[in-house]
Parts: sequence; structure tokens; C-alpha cells
Amino acid sequence: MANPAPAATQGLAITEHRLANGLRVVLSEDHLTPVTAVCLWYDVGSRHEVKGRTGLAHLFEHLMFQGSANVSNNGHFELVQGAGGSLNGTTSFERTNYFETMPAHQLELALWLEADRMGSLLAALDDASMENQRDVVKNERRQRYDNVPYGTAFEKLTALSYPDGHPYHHTPIGSMADLDAATLEDARAFFRTYYAPNNAVLSIVGDLDPEQTIAWVEKYFGSIPAHDGKQPPREGTLPDTIGREIRELLEEDVPSRALMAAYRLPHDGTREADAADLALTILGSGESSRLYNRLVRRDRTAVAAGFGLLRLAGAPSLGWLDVKTSGEATIEQIETAVDEELARFAAEGPTPEELERAQAQIEREWLDRLTTVAGRADELCRYAVLFGDPKLLNNALPKVLDVTAEEVKAIAAARLRPDNRAVLVYEPTTTDDDQTEEETA
Amino acid sequence: MTDYTPTMTFHPQPTPGTPTPWAFPAPERAALDNGLTVLHCHRPGQKLVAVEVLLDAPLAVEPENLDGIANILARALSVGTDTLTAEQFAAELERAGATLEAHADHPGIRASLEVPASRLERGLSLLADALRAPALPEDEIERLVANRLDEIVHEQANPARRAAKALYATLFEEADRLSRPRSGSAETVKNITRAAVQSFYQAHIRPATSTVVVVGDLTGIDLLPLLESTLGQWTGTAQELSTHAPVTADDTGRVVIVDRPGSVQTQLLVGRIGPDRHDPSWAAQILGTYCLGGTLTSRLDRVLREEKGYTYGVRAFAQPLRSTAGGTGRALLAVSGSVDTASTAAALADTWTILRTLAAEGLTDAERDEAVQFLVGVAPLKYETAGSVAVTLADQVEQHLPDDYQADVYRQLAVLETAAATEAVVAAFPTDRLVTVLVGDADVIADQVKELGIGEVTVITS
Repeated sequence: MANPAPAATQGLAITEHRLANGLRVVLSEDHLTPVTAVCLWYDVGSRHEVKGRTGLAHLFEHLMFQGSANVSNNGHFELVQGAGGSLNGTTSFERTNYFETMPAHQLELALWLEADRMGSLLAALDDASMENQRDVVKNERRQRYDNVPYGTAFEKLTALSYPDGHPYHHTPIGSMADLDAATLEDARAFFRTYYAPNNAVLSIVGDLDPEQTIAWVEKYFGSIPAHDGKQPPREGTLPDTIGREIRELLEEDVPSRALMAAYRLPHDGTREADAADLALTILGSGESSRLYNRLVRRDRTAVAAGFGLLRLAGAPSLGWLDVKTSGEATIEQIETAVDEELARFAAEGPTPEELERAQAQIEREWLDRLTTVAGRADELCRYAVLFGDPKLLNNALPKVLDVTAEEVKAIAAARLRPDNRAVLVYEPTTTDDDQTEEETA
Repeated sequence: MTDYTPTMTFHPQPTPGTPTPWAFPAPERAALDNGLTVLHCHRPGQKLVAVEVLLDAPLAVEPENLDGIANILARALSVGTDTLTAEQFAAELERAGATLEAHADHPGIRASLEVPASRLERGLSLLADALRAPALPEDEIERLVANRLDEIVHEQANPARRAAKALYATLFEEADRLSRPRSGSAETVKNITRAAVQSFYQAHIRPATSTVVVVGDLTGIDLLPLLESTLGQWTGTAQELSTHAPVTADDTGRVVIVDRPGSVQTQLLVGRIGPDRHDPSWAAQILGTYCLGGTLTSRLDRVLREEKGYTYGVRAFAQPLRSTAGGTGRALLAVSGSVDTASTAAALADTWTILRTLAAEGLTDAERDEAVQFLVGVAPLKYETAGSVAVTLADQVEQHLPDDYQADVYRQLAVLETAAATEAVVAAFPTDRLVTVLVGDADVIADQVKELGIGEVTVITS
């Protein structure tokens, strides 16, 4: 072979279990390093939120670190870190995850902690925690989105891409007004609705003894009652294409013009999503991509140009275009060039060399994600929660490598079109001048 | 406070099992015939191999008015060779499933290659070509210069970048390269030509003063012959390693406000310089700094985040700047984070109170124990990947430290007394010797900050 692939990675050894209360448990043993990752996905994300309460799933995730019946406020952090572990939680459209990576001999502690908050969070949740974490989350929003140039682009483009009332119309961070409006009772109701063993998947990966581990899981989680209060998220299905271009012009204090766009793409888990991933990689990932070569290297109209894929299972995925202009280049120049490149790609498809490179890149990214026990644990939960079967993980890469040039061309022709995108254009309001002299005040 | 009664069965908090001994990996050393120093380390299971190259081109040797040339050279290493154009080189790297990044910092240029073990030979061969025979094509150099000029405008708009630029500018004397942005300013970058990059390459890039670090699952790979046939083909004359000037800074307590009208938060960067890794107090300083601001249960976040809600989080850290074997190097010691604009003065007042209390009362044994357990216990996780091991080994070489330095730090941390950690962190952050940079809306925050008495306040607009 001209480009020998990495030695076929033997699939991960994966075993599955289910407790009587519905908690699904996934184990994968690996004794190379004395560490063990615990990952718990709750099948709830911002798509489950209702109007007027955006940001609640994420705010709630913060409250999960504020103590439970047997754990003090911040005790979760203190105990895990004091055991030499690392931990966090994150919230997306589709799920909320919590994870601890522990020295192997401290695994049992992580299980005890996760079980305590799954079964008894409301014993500790109070107004003081709620008010404090509301302020912390508002500062998170300011730091990550409101106080940086282009910081709200993701939120705006998402809102353009999914219609008002669609479960993915708003992003997980939520609005300031809704964060202000959330009450302690909202948080309690959220817990009672979504935080149950039968709405979660627990994966444990690394240096572990499977029998002992399952015995611990049974001991700590087994008595937590199941409940069925959960409402399914509102329907996220949309037509395959938008059918028109949606466009918004923003005049803001940003350093340069920018053209951003979101193309409506197939749901994650489908073969077409993998084809779209390859198309976006060839068009806009890395320094040999078509858009980089055209805009940054040859036309020199952009300082950065790229495409990314936001994979979503419960709604159409998004193909994310981000171009920041160079010097005086205009949006019109950029847009013309982008449209030319996309049209040419849709007409001709990828060259064999391009497809080979894109597959090698995706393969490396995949190896990178699976290189740590924590990365593996998260992926196992992803396949279990979103697609029903953790063992699908072992087939994920072969599926991408199996996609043909014809399929890549077909998805580009069908989806990467001007009438299937939402566009956000930034025009700077002021010119930045870094020559100003100091003044003393 | 709530009528909620959990129905689950509770069990006592479990006690830990027996820890598996773990030590920071010890590398093996070798040298190629061309003088290139090699460190390598086998990490079973790590199928992505990490390769770090240190090139002895410190920023201090950049020619006058050409600040940023080292950074342009670093980027220019991957825009074509004697046999490949820029586009072909990028394509070949991606075909190998590899990434290659290079950047310039005060101690020198660092190139990082990551490649699947099965394609290590192809990755090393491309890396060798980039180092041995970069084409440095005129049109690509022009483009890299133009890109850099665009990036500077974006960095000016980023509060964290702007804070760092202002802190370095005020801490260090103008003549010291440390005072100026690592990748240059618009005035200097625009002077950079292909000819200048070419001479900088010829003057400073050679195997005899370089080191390569290779870490990963090397099963079935005969590494040294592989390195000889790739990086071993790189030739160059011998030269002494560069020396670094001692680091000095003016840490008179003062405040610099970088005006950023309309900011909804103020970016804080409170710093000075202090001991680097050559100082016997380094381990104690790491421990004390962690207790001050290493995590959200440290002293700063316990108040600023978890009690007051002023911030998403602030961190205290030490970052070596330029180190020498003789101990004349220093690290930047700082507290960094952002707070909502209205809470700026209150957050600073609390920070100073926390530092004063720490100096008056010291750390507790419980704090010390938890921090040691974290810092030592987390090491197997921190160094799970090949990349993290390679970076630490390369940092040690760059800072003129022995290969077993990090392993020794872990041994020291395990037995450090609380008093030593207190002494180190109090010495690191004296309340009257801290330079405070605030990037935020000066009209709103300046008057309140002046009343705090943490030093003279200057407002700048760039």
C-alpha cells in the first residue's frame, strides 16, 4: 500500500451491564497505566430546556458540584483532587457529562461520589449555592462569549440555523435574562425529571478489575430508584436542506471582517455524516485544504479560513465555515471565492490524494481521542447514549475509511450550497489603532 | 431546609486501595553523528508518537528592529523544502496523518511533530527536510509576514493577550527582549524579509546545538538508525550553545489599566518575577502557589468564585521565562483571571486580603496534605500521553535541567513541610511588590482601583 495505515487497532474490549434500576454500565479494561476513568452521561442537554429557561441544564451541571447528602459544598472537588484525580463536567445540546480520572486505587471513591449526587443532590441544594453559581455562570458567559470579539457568533449562527421554537435554536450557555430568571424550584424540578439511573450511562475505563468494579457499582448505585418523569425533547427533525440562504449582517467592534456560515448537514451516526466530515476536512481543515490554499495562500484575502463539523444526533449537524479577512479584503471577494471552491468540489469531487489525506487526518484525530482512558470513557458513553450501543465505537473509524469519493462528492453537491446555509457577516465599526501613546490618569 | 428525603442506601466513604508505584519516565540519551542530541522514551500503548525539537535560536539574538523573525522562521520551516512546495509539504504531512507546529519563545524555537507510530519514518523524514533544507520561498515569507500583521490586530482585541503584553512591557526594561511581544510588533514584523529569515536560519539553526525528544510506543522501531537516516542527514558546523542574560524586573507595586471601553469584564493579571526551576524552593513554590490559586477549592477561588461569584475562575501560576544552569533565570509569577466589570475593585481588594491573611497565618497542614496528594497523585494522569512526557523532557533540556529533574520534584513534593510551602508562596506574592494589569473599561474602574492603595495607577490605551 502506498500509505500504510496504522496497524489495525484491535477494537477495545467492551462489556455492558445493566442494573435493576436501569443504569447502564460499560467497562473497558486497560492496565498499561495505573489510572481509571469514570464517565457518567445523563441524557439531558440544552435541547430539553423550555422557553424562558435556557441555560438551565448547564447551570444545573454547576450545582452538581455543590454537595449532596454525604458530600460537603465543593467536597466533590476536594475529595477527587485530594485523591490525585482530575474531574469536571460539561453540557452540550444533547447531553450532560461528568467525569473523574483517578489513580486506579481510588476508583471506588469516584463511584461513591457520583452515586451520592445522583441519589441525594436535593438534600444539599440550597439558595446560597443557586445564587452563587448563577453569578459564576454569568461570568462564564461574559468571559467566553460576551467579552471577546466574535464571541457570540456561535449563538447567533445557531439561532439562524434552527428555527424559533426548535430545541437547538439556543445554545447551552443560555441567555442572561433566563439565567436571572431560573429559580431553586426550577433546579429541583430539573433534577427530579432528568437525574435518574435509567436516564444515564456510566462508563469505567482503565486499570480495573471488572468483577470488583461491577460489585462497587451495584453497591453504590443499585439502591437509587428509577423514575420515569422525563419528557422526550421536542422533535428536532428538519428537512434535509433549508431551501434558502438566511443572512445577518453585524456591525461590531471586531478586529477584522469575517464571513461565517453554517450549512445544514446529515445527523450524526449516518454514513452521510461521515461523508460530510470528509468533505469538510478536504475543503477546510488544515494547511493543505482547498479553502486554506485558495484564500490564505493564493488570494491572500484571509488570515484564517476553515471548516468544522458540529456533529448532532437529534437534529441536523452543522458544517461550520469561519473566515477572517486579511487587510482590506471584502466579504464579497471571500464569498465569491468560497462559492467557487464549493461549486467546483461539488462538480468534481475529491481527488484520490485528497481523500487519502482526509482519512489519514481523521484517523489521527481518532487515535488522539482514544489515547487517554478519559477520552475512551467519554466516547463509550457517547455511543451508548446517542446511538444505543457502546460497541459501535469499534466500528466508527472503519466506517469513515469506507466512504467513497463518489459519496463525498454527492453530499457536497446536495448540501454545501448557498441555499442551504445561514450566513453571519461581521463588518468592523472602528479601526483599531495600536499606535496610540500612553497617557497618565 | 428541604423536605426532601433520599431513599437510596448510603455507605461510608470508601478507603483507597493500594497505590501502584509510578515514577516520571526516565529518558535515554544518545547523539547522532551530526551532533544532534537525542532523548527517547518508550511509552507502551501510546500509538501517537510525539517528537519535540529544540533549536537554539533564543529571541534575544533576533537582529535589531526585526522582533518576530524567529517566529516567522519557525512558521517558515513548514512552507516547503528543497523538493516540495509549500502546498506539497502540507499535503505530505497530512497524508502521513501527522501534524507539525513550530513557534518561537524566549529560550529558542520549538518544533512539535505528532505522528502515528506506523508512519514515524515518513514523519521524521519530513521533519528532517524542514530543518535541513527549508526552501524559505519569498512569496510564502511575504505571506507569513502579512498573516502575522493581521494576527497582531486580532491579539489586540483579546483581553488576555493584551494583559500579557502590557505586563511584560511594564515589568522589564525596554532593552530586554522580554519586554516586547514574543512574535514582534507591527513596526518590526513589517521589516522582515526573505533574506533576513535566510540569514537568521543560517546563523542559528544547526544540528550540533539542537536536541530531539522522541516519546511513544516504539515497539518494533529501531529508533537510532531511523533517526540517523532522517535527522542524521542534516548537516551544519559546530557552535557553542547560546547563553542567556540574567532576568531582572521592576516589581514596584503599581497598576496599569489598559482601557478597553465597553468591556463587560475586567481581565486581571497580577504579577512579578521570582525563582525558576533551578531554585531549591521551586517545589515548595509549586505547592504554595497551588494552595493559593491552583483550582477552584484553592484560597482565591474559594472566595472570588465560590463565595462571591465575581469570576468563572482565577489561577495563580509560575512560568519560567529564560533559565540558565547558573541560576540567573527567573519565572513569571502571576494571578490571572477575569471578573465582571462592577466587581473589579472588590475582587482586587479580596485578593490582597487573601494574600495578607496567607502571610499572617500561613497554610494549614490540611491544605498542604490535599495539595501534595493532588500534585503527586495526578502525575500518572498528567503524563498519560506521549505528548505531555515529550514536552516536559524538552522543557528540562531547554531550561538546562537534568533529565531526572521532574522525577526529583515529585520526590521533594511528597515530603515538603507546610512551613516551606507557606514561606515560598508568601515570598512569591508580597502584597507591596505586585504589578497589576487590568484590561477593562477605564472610565468605570479607574477611580475605584485608585482608592485601593495597591500602587500608582496609569491608564494606557494600547
